[in-house]
Amino acid sequence: MGGSPVGDGTLSLDGFNASARALEKRWKEIEVDESLPDWTWKPCSNLGVPSEVEGYLALEGVYRDCGGSQVQSSSGNIHVYDFHVVYSHSYKAPVLYFQGHRSDGQLLTLDEIKQDLPSDSLKVLSESKWTFITREEHPQLSRPWFTLHPCATSDWMKLLLEESKVAYEEQLLRYLPAWLSVVGQAVGLKIPLELHCRP
Amino acid sequence: MAAEADQKVVVHVRSTGDAPILKQSKFKISGRDKFLKVIEFLRRQLHQDTLFVYINSAFSPNPDELVIDLYNNFGIDGKLVVNYALSAAWG
Repeated sequence: MGGSPVGDGTLSLDGFNASARALEKRWKEIEVDESLPDWTWKPCSNLGVPSEVEGYLALEGVYRDCGGSQVQSSSGNIHVYDFHVVYSHSYKAPVLYFQGHRSDGQLLTLDEIKQDLPSDSLKVLSESKWTFITREEHPQLSRPWFTLHPCATSDWMKLLLEESKVAYEEQLLRYLPAWLSVVGQAVGLKIPLELHCRP
Repeated sequence: MAAEADQKVVVHVRSTGDAPILKQSKFKISGRDKFLKVIEFLRRQLHQDTLFVYINSAFSPNPDELVIDLYNNFGIDGKLVVNYALSAAWG
């Protein structure tokens, strides 16, 4: 496993693949809130042939009842989210892509998604319109998805990993759980604490 | 070493990068409090809204997590060590 060191907060493609498989496996082992599905690895497809090297992680069908009341809500109040974690060669880091739809399949607009975002994220969004949540082409699906801007990712990942005294291989495996703890907060996706405990 | 929820937890805040060091770097907080209370303490002390707050060089806790849960899982030597940097994750 070659590639860039984790020490500078970036991740090589090999490192991403290894960390992704480890996350997929670990997520199944720990106790996860019932409302959260499993992560699955989706191989990229080149002319219909699934790639053995490149792919992305997907967490699809996360339900969010934005009505806020205990009363049986009409289906229009249910928001369903898909989250994809895609490796970016230019940032050498994972990037979160996401989209939400209503139960009738209608895609959510940013204004509708805002109802589900934590207040801290709403504040950042109002201050930095173009460097936080934007709409861009999903690199594998070639359709516009919402994405979290990755320009500072390696900076905070460096902070999260710099002091750990564990071996390089284990740092790799911890990369995605650490990364998820930050991006999860930005989009209101609750990551189980147990993911960060040693197995 | 699992502690009860109503127990007080010693929180030790440590600056990283160019974040200023606080005069009061250790304080006690109820285990029932949410981690948000630690974040708000740091924001107040540092007069800074955007902070990057994390634990054990491993992850950044959700503000909704209970302090006691963090302590029971990640406490070291009877305290919960919380790192903070002045950088913002987004924006």
